[in-house]
Amino acid sequence: MNWSLFFDLTVSGLTLGSLYALIALGYSLVYGILKLLNFAHGDVYMIGAFLGWYALHALGGPVNPTFTGAVVLFLMFVVAMLGCGVLGVAIERFAYRPLRNAPRIAPLISALGVSIFLQNSALLIFGAAFRDYDTFDLIGVKTYNIGQLFFSVPQLLTVVAAIGLMVALTLFVARSRLGKAMRSTSFDREAASMMGIDVDRVISVTFFIGSALAGAAGVMFALVFGQIYHFMGFIAGLKGFTAAVLGGIGSIPGAMVGGLIVGLAESYATGYLPQGSTFQNLYVFALLILVILIRPSGLFGKAAISKV
Amino acid sequence: MTGDATLLELKELDKSFGGLRVIADLDMVVKEHEIVSVIGPNGAGKTTLFNLITGIYRPDSGEIQLDGRNLVGMAPHKITELGIARTFQTLRLFLNMTVKENVMAAQYGHTKVGVLRSMVRTPGARREEKEIHRLAEEKLGFFGDRLMGYRWDQFAYSLSYANRRRLEIARAMATQARILLLDEPAAGMNPRETHEITELIGKLRDDGGYTILVIEHDMHVVEGISDRVVALDHGVKIAEGSFEAVATDPRVVEAYLGLRKTETK
Amino acid sequence: MEQPPDTPRIGVDEWVASVEGKRERYTGPRGAVLKRWERLPPAARVLVFATPAAVFPFLTSGGNLFRYGLFTLVYALLALGLNIVVGFAGLLDLGYVAFFGCGAYMYAILASPQFGNHWQAEAAIPVVVVFTAVVGLLVGLPSRRLLGDYLAILTLFFGQAFVVFVNNANRISFPFVGHADLTGGANGIANIDPFNFFGYRIDSTRKQYYLLLIAVALVLILLMFVNESRTGRAWRALREDPLAAEVMSIPVNRLKLLAFVFGAAVAGLTGAIYGTIATAALPGDYDVGLLITVYAIMILGGFGSIMGIVVGAMIVNNIPKLLHSSANARPLFYGTILLAILVKLRPWRLLAAELGGLVAFGFAIHGIASAAYPRLVDGESIGSGVSARALDHWMLFPKNPVKIADVAYILLVAAIVVYPQLSRVWRAVLLPPLLYLVMFVWENLLLVHIGGATRLILLGAMLVALMNIRPQGLFGTATVEIA
Ligand SMILES: Nc1ncnc2c1ncn2[C@@H]1O[C@H](COP(=O)(O)OP(=O)(O)OP(=O)(O)O)[C@@H](O)[C@H]1O
Ligand SMILES: [Mg+2]
Repeated sequence: MNWSLFFDLTVSGLTLGSLYALIALGYSLVYGILKLLNFAHGDVYMIGAFLGWYALHALGGPVNPTFTGAVVLFLMFVVAMLGCGVLGVAIERFAYRPLRNAPRIAPLISALGVSIFLQNSALLIFGAAFRDYDTFDLIGVKTYNIGQLFFSVPQLLTVVAAIGLMVALTLFVARSRLGKAMRSTSFDREAASMMGIDVDRVISVTFFIGSALAGAAGVMFALVFGQIYHFMGFIAGLKGFTAAVLGGIGSIPGAMVGGLIVGLAESYATGYLPQGSTFQNLYVFALLILVILIRPSGLFGKAAISKV
Repeated sequence: MTGDATLLELKELDKSFGGLRVIADLDMVVKEHEIVSVIGPNGAGKTTLFNLITGIYRPDSGEIQLDGRNLVGMAPHKITELGIARTFQTLRLFLNMTVKENVMAAQYGHTKVGVLRSMVRTPGARREEKEIHRLAEEKLGFFGDRLMGYRWDQFAYSLSYANRRRLEIARAMATQARILLLDEPAAGMNPRETHEITELIGKLRDDGGYTILVIEHDMHVVEGISDRVVALDHGVKIAEGSFEAVATDPRVVEAYLGLRKTETK
Repeated sequence: MEQPPDTPRIGVDEWVASVEGKRERYTGPRGAVLKRWERLPPAARVLVFATPAAVFPFLTSGGNLFRYGLFTLVYALLALGLNIVVGFAGLLDLGYVAFFGCGAYMYAILASPQFGNHWQAEAAIPVVVVFTAVVGLLVGLPSRRLLGDYLAILTLFFGQAFVVFVNNANRISFPFVGHADLTGGANGIANIDPFNFFGYRIDSTRKQYYLLLIAVALVLILLMFVNESRTGRAWRALREDPLAAEVMSIPVNRLKLLAFVFGAAVAGLTGAIYGTIATAALPGDYDVGLLITVYAIMILGGFGSIMGIVVGAMIVNNIPKLLHSSANARPLFYGTILLAILVKLRPWRLLAAELGGLVAFGFAIHGIASAAYPRLVDGESIGSGVSARALDHWMLFPKNPVKIADVAYILLVAAIVVYPQLSRVWRAVLLPPLLYLVMFVWENLLLVHIGGATRLILLGAMLVALMNIRPQGLFGTATVEIA
C-alpha cells in the first residue's frame, strides 16, 4: 500500500468534502423548510466564486493587494457571502414564493429557469474563458501537516473555515430565536405560522444563510483549484445535492457527513478505482444509488410518514 | 339481514408513532353485510385504524384478516383489489380529473387490458372500456341525480363539498370492493345532506350488498345506521355493542365528557 | 388556495362559485372553438396538424425544410415521450435526453462502419427501442421508491453519467472481450447509415421529413388512445395524488416504471431517427442544453396536453432560429415588451404618459451624455437602415460597451427584482428609466450575443415568468391543488 498516495487522497477528499458539505447545507436547509429542490443553488455557488474574484481585483489583485493577504481573503469571503445571500433571497422572492401553492412541479421548473438564467448571465458577463485566482503570492505555498496529512494553506483554510461555518450554523439553529423559528417552520409550516412565526421571513433567512454558505464554498473552491468558469456550478451542485441526500435531506449533521463521504469517495475513486480520474463522477453516482436503495431516507434522515 | 360469516377480523392490533401508542391491542370483527360504526373523540385512532386496514401503515404487531387471509404487509392496491376500499376524511379526489374519470380510474384493479392493447384499441380493449364506462355510470347513479348528467364531465374540483364526499364513496364502490371503509362521510354536510347520507349508507348495504365500516361523529347518523358500534379512546376499545348500549356506557360518556372539559369550543 | 379540510361548508361554497366564474369566461367565440376542438376524434385532430405539415415540403427549400421542418418534428417526437413521464405520470425525469442519446448510439452501433454492422432499419429500430426501454427500466428501478425530487436528481446524474460514459467509452477495457471502442469517445460515431427498410433507403431530407411526420402522427394517436385508457387514467390519477391512487387499486410503483419505460422507448426511437439525420452520434448533442429545450417545449405546450406539444415544438425550434439575426430579433423583442405594456398599463392616459416619458427620458439622457460624457455615445447601433440610425440619436451606444453594459445588466436584474416591491406611484415614475435600461442592455449587450448566451437567458427568464403566470403551461388545462 502506498501510504503517501492514500494521505494525499485523504486530504483532497477532506477538502472537496468540506466544499460539498457547505453546498449540501444550502440544499438541506431549503428542502427542510420548503420541500423544494433549489436547482439554482449550484449556480449561486458559481456566482460566489466570481464575486470573490471581483473582490480580489477590486482590492488591487493578487500580486499587489491593497491590504495584507489575510484581510483581502477575509473581504473576499465577506463580499461573496453577502452577495450570494442577497441573490438567494431575491431568487426565492421572485421564482419560488409566488409558486408556493402551485402544483409541485412548477417551482422545480422555475428553479431550472433560474439556473439557466444565472449560468448564461455569467457567460454573458464573465465570458466563456476560465479565470485564474493566482493567489500564490497572496497566500504563499507553504504546507502544514498533521502527521502524514499534508495540507496546503487553501486546503487547510477550506477545511477549517468550513468547520467553523458549520459550527456557527449549528449553534445558530439550536440557540437563536430565528434558528428555533427555522426548526419549527421546517417541522410544520402551517402550525408555525399559526403560532405567530413570520414564515416568509424565516424562509428568506434560510435562503440567505444557505446561499451565503454556497458563496463561501465558491471562494474556497477557487482558492484551492485556482480556476473558475461559468459552468462550474452544475457538477458541484449535483455533488452537493448527492451529499445532502446521502446524509438525509433536511438534516444539518447529515449534510456535513454526507459532504465528507462524497468528497472522500470521489477522491479515493480517482486514486484507486479503474479509470477513476475519468469516471469518478460515475462512481459517486453509483454510491448515491446504493445508499438510496439501502436507506432511502439517507444516513441521518428520518423516514417520512405522511399523515393521512 | 346480517350474516354470520366473519369477513374482516383484527387480532391484537398495535400501532405507535414514536412513543405515542395510537392503536392498542385492538380486537375487532366485522361480519358480512354488517354496518359497524367506529366512534371516539378526536385523536382516538379511528383514522389510523383505517390506515392500518388499507395497508397505508403497517401495524407494529397483530393481524388483519380478510376471509381468513392475513393482509399485513400487503401493498395497499393489493388489499383494495382483494375487496377493501375506503374514503378519506380529508377528501383526496383526483381534483383535475372529471367526475366520471375519478370513478373510472378506481377500476384499475379489476380490469386487465395492458398498455399495448389499449394503444391499438383491440376489440377486447374496447369492450372493457365500455364496461368501465357502464360501471362508472352505474356507481354514480347510486346517488340519484346528484352526480348525474352534466356533472360527469365536470372536473372534481368544481364540485361542492357534499358532492365531493359522494364522489369519494362512488370511487370506492367502483373498485368492486366488498367492504367500504367510510371516514366521516357526513362531515361538513348540512342536516338535509346528512339525512341523505344516512339513507344512502343503508342503501349501500341493502341494495349494493356492501359490508360497511364507518367512522362518524354525528350521533344521529350513527344511531340511524349502525348494527353495531365500537367506541375507541386512545386506541383502546372501550365499548362495543348496540348503539343504545354504547351510547350510555359510562366509559364512553366519560371519554367524550373528558374531552369536552379540556376542549373549549 | 388552502382550506381546512374539516370546515363545514353548507351549500355551494364561495370557492366553487369562483371557479365556476372562471370557467364562464371561456365561452364566446374562443370557447366555441375550444369546445369543437375537444369534440373532434383523435384521428381528426392529428389530421388538422398533419395536413399542413405534409404540404410544407412543397412550399419551401431543402435547407429550410431541414432547419425548420425536420427539427421541429424531432423535437416534437422527443417532447411527446417526455410528456408521458412528466406530463402524464408527473415524474420529473432530468436524464431524459440520455435515452435519446442511447437510441442514437445504439443505432450507430448497429448501422455504421464503427463495427461494420449495417442492419436493416426494420430490424434495427425494434432493437434500439427495446434496448432503450430496458435502460429506462434499469434507471427506473432504483428510482421508483423515490420522492419526486430525489428522482429528479438521480436522473440528472444519470444524464451526466451518460455523457461522461460516451465521451470515454473508447478507452474502456471490458472483462472478457478486452479493449473495444464502443462509442468513438469525443469524436463520436460518424457515417451512420440512412434507414433502409427492406431495401428502400430514407436518404433525402424530404424522405426523412415524411418518415418523421408519420412517426409523430403515429405516436400522437397512440398516446391519445393510451390517455383515454385505463393506463392513462391511472397515470393521471397518480400524478394527482399517489397515495389516493394506490388505495384505489392502482399499483403506483409499477405504473411509474411503465411511464419511465415508455418515455425512454419514444426517446430511443427519436434518437435512432436523429442519428440518421445527423449521420453521426456525438456526445455533445445529448447534454443539458437539449434537456432544457425539450422541457421548454413540454412546458410551453402544457403538461399532459398532447397537441400543445406540437405547437410548443414549433415555437421553441423556430423562434430562436429567427432570433439568430438581429433584424428579426429586434422587432420580436420590442414587440413582446410593447404587448406586455399595452396589456398591463390600463388607463390609456397613463400608457401615453409612460411612453412619452420614455421618449423624453431617452433624449434627455442622450443630450446630457453627448455634452458631458461623449464616451457614452461614440458608438452606433447594430444594423443599418433608418430606424437603426434614428436610434443612434436617442439611445446611448458606447464604442466599447463591454464594461458599461455588464454593469447595466447587473443593475437591470437588480432593478427588476426591486421594482415590483415599490409603491404604485414610484412604479409609475420609474417605469420610463427602467424601460430605457432594458433597451440599453438589449441594444448593447444582449443583441451582441444574440447567437449565444442571450437565447438561453431569455429562455430561463421565460420559464420563470411562465411558471409565475401560468404554471400549467400555455395549452394545459388549469390544475388546482388544494393541500
Ligand atoms: N403519521 C402519523 N405520525 C404521527 N402521529 C400520527 C400519525 N397519524 C396519526 N397520528 C396521531 O395518532 C393519533 C390518532 O390519530 P387519528 O387520525 O387516527 O385520530 P382520529 O380518531 O381519526 O381523530 P379525528 O376524529 O380527529 O379524525 C393522533 O394523536 C395523531 O396525531
Ligand atoms: Mg380521523
